[in-house]
Amino acid sequence: MTGKRLRTVVLVAIAAVLLAIWAFPVLWALLTSFKTERDVLAYPPTVIFTPTLRNYADVLFGSASLLPNLLSSVIVAGVSTFVTLLLAIPAAYALARLELPAKRASGFYVLATQMLPPVGLIIPYYLVLQKVGMLDTYTGLIVIYLTFSLPFAIWLLVSYFEDIPREMEEAALLDRAGRFRALWYVILPQVRGGIAVTTIFVFLNAWNEFLFAVVLGGNRVRPVTVAMFNYISVEQTLWAKLAAGAMLAMAPVILLGLIAQRHIVKGLTVGAVKGGGRRA
Amino acid sequence: MANAGRVSMRGIVKRHGSFTALHGIDLDIAPGEFFALLGPSGSGKTTTLRILAGLEPLDAGQVMLDGVDVTAREPGERDVAMVFQSYALYPHMTVYENIAFPLRMVGTAKGETDRAVKDAAAKVHIDHLLARRPGELSGGQQQRCALARAIVRKPRLFLLDEPLSNLDAKLRLETRVELRKLQRALGVTAVYVTHDQEEAMTIADRVAVFMDGRIVQVGRPQDIFARPATSVVAAFIGSPPMNLLPADLRDGELRVAGVPLPAPRMAGRDGPITLGVRPAALRIAERGLPARVYLVENLGDTTIVDLDVAGQVIKLRTEQAPNVREGDHVHVAFAPEAMHVFDPATGQRREG
Ligand SMILES: Nc1ncnc2c1ncn2[C@@H]1O[C@H](COP(=O)(O)OP(=O)(O)O)[C@@H](O)[C@H]1O
Ligand SMILES: [Mg+2]
Repeated sequence: MTGKRLRTVVLVAIAAVLLAIWAFPVLWALLTSFKTERDVLAYPPTVIFTPTLRNYADVLFGSASLLPNLLSSVIVAGVSTFVTLLLAIPAAYALARLELPAKRASGFYVLATQMLPPVGLIIPYYLVLQKVGMLDTYTGLIVIYLTFSLPFAIWLLVSYFEDIPREMEEAALLDRAGRFRALWYVILPQVRGGIAVTTIFVFLNAWNEFLFAVVLGGNRVRPVTVAMFNYISVEQTLWAKLAAGAMLAMAPVILLGLIAQRHIVKGLTVGAVKGGGRRA
Repeated sequence: MANAGRVSMRGIVKRHGSFTALHGIDLDIAPGEFFALLGPSGSGKTTTLRILAGLEPLDAGQVMLDGVDVTAREPGERDVAMVFQSYALYPHMTVYENIAFPLRMVGTAKGETDRAVKDAAAKVHIDHLLARRPGELSGGQQQRCALARAIVRKPRLFLLDEPLSNLDAKLRLETRVELRKLQRALGVTAVYVTHDQEEAMTIADRVAVFMDGRIVQVGRPQDIFARPATSVVAAFIGSPPMNLLPADLRDGELRVAGVPLPAPRMAGRDGPITLGVRPAALRIAERGLPARVYLVENLGDTTIVDLDVAGQVIKLRTEQAPNVREGDHVHVAFAPEAMHVFDPATGQRREG
């Protein structure tokens, strides 16, 4: 065996182990979601069992249906993603193009927001929302999400805008596009990949968020990540229903991932290569 | 007044912090002229072009187009088109969409746009590539696409920043000729930036020579060649450029490296001068400056002989294969009328 082949084999083996570790809980949940609660508790665990769709039916249409919560998640994640991009795109473009004195400082601010432990902010956020009467409202939770997602999205997008040569919009200006149409027709189509990556990251963060949702939400605003905990109570845990709920909550994430896989991988590698070689 | 295109720049100053890129540029370009901005890299040619386009703010001065002060106008309000050195084609659009873009932005009707795009593409011979994207074109085709996008809306001023510098040598020569023909056919004023003196001299009606943010000479190529205004211009123009030698003028007698030579008629004070002679004006003779043959470069139809004259290398160019070899001791001579005399301190030409 040549050294190169050995290397390949080792890499594949490592990848397989990592994949197995990552995939195990997902597979476990997938299997569990088709079991009856009895089968779940069987010992030793069974791999061969009679699959049932009961759990899904219960989770979707039962008395404790997750459908309103899925809708809640869609609203929170969808609106906060939309607003984030609406504000982040022009902001990132301006930051990439203008010589602003606060450029460095704003970069540091973004890093800082990403490094702060969210737990430390929960109580202040709770108190603020309570004061303005926005606890358990969509507006309240979305505004809180924006405080994280907006700096992150701007920071991510700036590097994409910086990659577009200035001559692009200069050419467009000479072609009489004006600033706005230069951005719309010439620049934005060239940062589509970056916008896709940003959309996905922001959406997933909001979709998967639990801590703020559980504290700042309530009966009206209860995303699916929070609602799943209905199946865990003091007396018992309904594993099969929990698993079915988890599968439903994961579905949009996986779907989005598959659709945008190409963009994500490209976006991540571009970021990685650039991050290393970029000057301050 | 479509396609007039008279340019007038007055006292243009451009600074980058404490560095002054342009020290007061004055420039007048007539309608329909092919005008070259020539100079070494960093001399301020691109900056001047960008100021003309309105892409670069200026610190002082005035830009006039057809008698109208456009200094404060946006690039889109000047009716000028530019071919960037990088071409700046829109990568996500097809060639057709690229060329159509300037028309689309002013709301030209579909049918008219279609006709104009095909017409412009045909003029630069890329009408068979309209469906491709810039990434699928060769360098030469990309350059033509950029040209087509610039000519499609018939601007009054056509700005080109080193448009041929990314092409290989052969294509560069061909495109140069075509560009010239295209400009003639369109009758549009063209301002052309290049650091290649041969390119500027062959393509332009008139040339402005830039040095360190100043225009040191403006004129027709043949006039600049015949009467360079300074020794720096002299050393920049011609291939190979003019030989410059320190010399001494005393009582109507010229001495180069101590050797007396027939002096040209010139009004000038006695004292040290810089003597300039074009390589083609030099010949190997019985008498004259003693020199040692340093290198013989045979270029086929011409030969360049490098000669060592009192420790300084000068170049001689001849169409006839000279009967000399490296290491030979020879004499070089030149006609008194072929001499150029420059002030050694200021570099300014002294007129005879
Ligand atoms: N943004 C800038 N900041 C600082 N110096 C600049 C900038 N742009 C151009 N320069 C300087 O101005 C001078 C003229 O530049 P340029 O017009 O591009 O020269 P050319 O086109 O003749 O090579 C150069 O010395 C260049 O380094
Ligand atoms: Mg330049």
